[in-house]
Amino acid sequence: MAIVQLENVKKVYSLGKAEVQAVRGVSFSIEKGDFASIVGPSGSGKSTILNLIGCIDQPTEGTVIINGTATEGLKDKALTNLRHQTLGFIFQSFNLIPVLNVYENIEFPLLLGKNKMSKKETREWIEYLVEAVGLKDHIIHKSNELSGGQRQRVAIARALVTKPEIVLADEPTANLDSKTGQSILELMKKMNADLNTTFIFSTHDTSIMDIADHVVRLLDGLVVEDTKAKVKVGS
Amino acid sequence: MSMTLKVASRNIFRQKKRTFLLAGAIAFGMLVITLINAFTGGLVENIRENIADIFGGHVFITGTEYPEGGQIVRRMKPDDRLDELLAEHAPFISSHTKRSEAYATFIFGSKRTVDTVYGVDFVEENKLLESLVVSKGSFDRVAELNNAIIVTETVGQRLGVEPGETILVKLDTITGQQNVGEFQVEAFVKDQDMFGMSSAYAHRAYLNELLGLDTHEFQNLYLTIHDLSQAEAVARDFRVGLRSDDEIEEEEVEVSVSVAGMPISPQDKKEPIQPWEGTRYRVMGINEIMEPIEQVVGVLDKIALVVFLILLFVTMVGITNTFRMIMIERTREIGTMRAFGMHKKQVKRIFLWEATLVSLLGVVTGLVLSGVLVFILSRIGITKDPAMQMFLTEGRLSFVISKGSLVVNTVLVVVISLIAAYWPAKAAAKLSPMKALGSHT
Repeated sequence: MAIVQLENVKKVYSLGKAEVQAVRGVSFSIEKGDFASIVGPSGSGKSTILNLIGCIDQPTEGTVIINGTATEGLKDKALTNLRHQTLGFIFQSFNLIPVLNVYENIEFPLLLGKNKMSKKETREWIEYLVEAVGLKDHIIHKSNELSGGQRQRVAIARALVTKPEIVLADEPTANLDSKTGQSILELMKKMNADLNTTFIFSTHDTSIMDIADHVVRLLDGLVVEDTKAKVKVGS
Repeated sequence: MSMTLKVASRNIFRQKKRTFLLAGAIAFGMLVITLINAFTGGLVENIRENIADIFGGHVFITGTEYPEGGQIVRRMKPDDRLDELLAEHAPFISSHTKRSEAYATFIFGSKRTVDTVYGVDFVEENKLLESLVVSKGSFDRVAELNNAIIVTETVGQRLGVEPGETILVKLDTITGQQNVGEFQVEAFVKDQDMFGMSSAYAHRAYLNELLGLDTHEFQNLYLTIHDLSQAEAVARDFRVGLRSDDEIEEEEVEVSVSVAGMPISPQDKKEPIQPWEGTRYRVMGINEIMEPIEQVVGVLDKIALVVFLILLFVTMVGITNTFRMIMIERTREIGTMRAFGMHKKQVKRIFLWEATLVSLLGVVTGLVLSGVLVFILSRIGITKDPAMQMFLTEGRLSFVISKGSLVVNTVLVVVISLIAAYWPAKAAAKLSPMKALGSHT
């Protein structure tokens, strides 16, 4: 079952008087539980596609369907609710909220909408995530007291706290050394396996895409390879 | 605690120096307005209390007579209406005193000076002697000596008299005849009357004799009220209760005279005053005396409010600029929060909470500083100048601030801070999550 579906998606940005075609008609789908990687060099459209899947941008043309909901024409409020209920985010620069500690940063997305869990369940769930990402001893630390790898672990726990269907990670290892980056990817893979959450991460580093079970390769705004489908597009 | 409030409360400590400056500006404004309000409030209270002390009460009643073939004289006789009213209002009245008075010339040898002399019942007005500060002589023999007089230091110095010596007091009787009496100076007291104006005190019976009044007669009746807020109501009751029938008739005539529907006051006709029967009373509450003073103080308060508003306006510009800066600094953070499902209104709310908290921090700081300053200022002896005593309590400033003005000032600060932060908050809420996440700030 496709949890993410892109059909002939195009995205054009205005750059002054010029127009830039970031994505030029992309179609692919990602199944529930996939550990998918969107690979491509800089400017290939990876981030644009993640933004479109993440409902923080709208396509110029084409259709983006997230967990059965077409994002086209949705108002800001509906998009915000869709993001809150269905999506989790991991950013290249971690983007933790500096005034909150590890526990509060992880808890934060739960406080943005209706939380179906009781207080006790919430606490147990966050403690489980903290333990799962290996930060049990840092639970009351602020983000500036953590290393890059630890911050990204917090970000992973934060992305999973609302039990989203999909977690989007934009170059999650770009700001980390290779060893830490590898451990982060392994952690993401583990969480993907344990929770059956779909992970979609972008990377320009072809050496780390081997961990993915589904690879979408982009070049100049077009899909040039979709390895799960085992079909070479445009060749 | 709501998430937006939690984030806002943490945010205010992110840039401590900035918060300190912003809250400091608000605190300064709050300090100024609170001090001025408290000062003027204290001033009014002090003047009210001092006037009550000087006149011996909060409601003042005088009586005049104008018999046929006679002339207008200030005189009050025992009156059933007065006694009934006093009995009826006994629960509100803590004490009442009857005095006669004269503006007299004091003569000692070749020296002379003028002053007001009150005829009092020293037994009845036992608190009077307690309130006077003796600078020379004593009150020991005042009660027993029929012609004893207490004069102020100033009068004593002007006359060059010493306690125990006899002075002459020249005054006009109630019918305008001149009369002279001998008084024995028993004590000098410190001047404490309004603007340095002093008074002397003698036995009412003896002064009455000189004024041409009977022993049991008097010219002024002063009522001291337990609860000052009741003073006006008591004054009104006495005013109504002491009106004579012909006064009521005259009032009815006053309203019935009209031209083209416009009532004409009999005063416009400048008719000579007609004699009346019995005593006509004039009742005045302390608030009537205080009215012009309160008006002046009200103007001071208004000036303070304008200064406060100017300060707040300047602070408002500072708040707007600060929150614009905050918005730029936290753009990526806003993007992150929006990505995770924070609604626009929640982003706005964080900013508005932050503005509220900073303004409340400023308000509390301002109030604490005001409290400290008030504590220090109220313990400093200001001056021994008698002219200043009217504004002081025991030679010190006192400060009174109403809860109402505190609430109004606090609400004003918070509302202005919210208005100042509203536009940056709205702009932050409108940020596109994608653009915000792409920001390098």
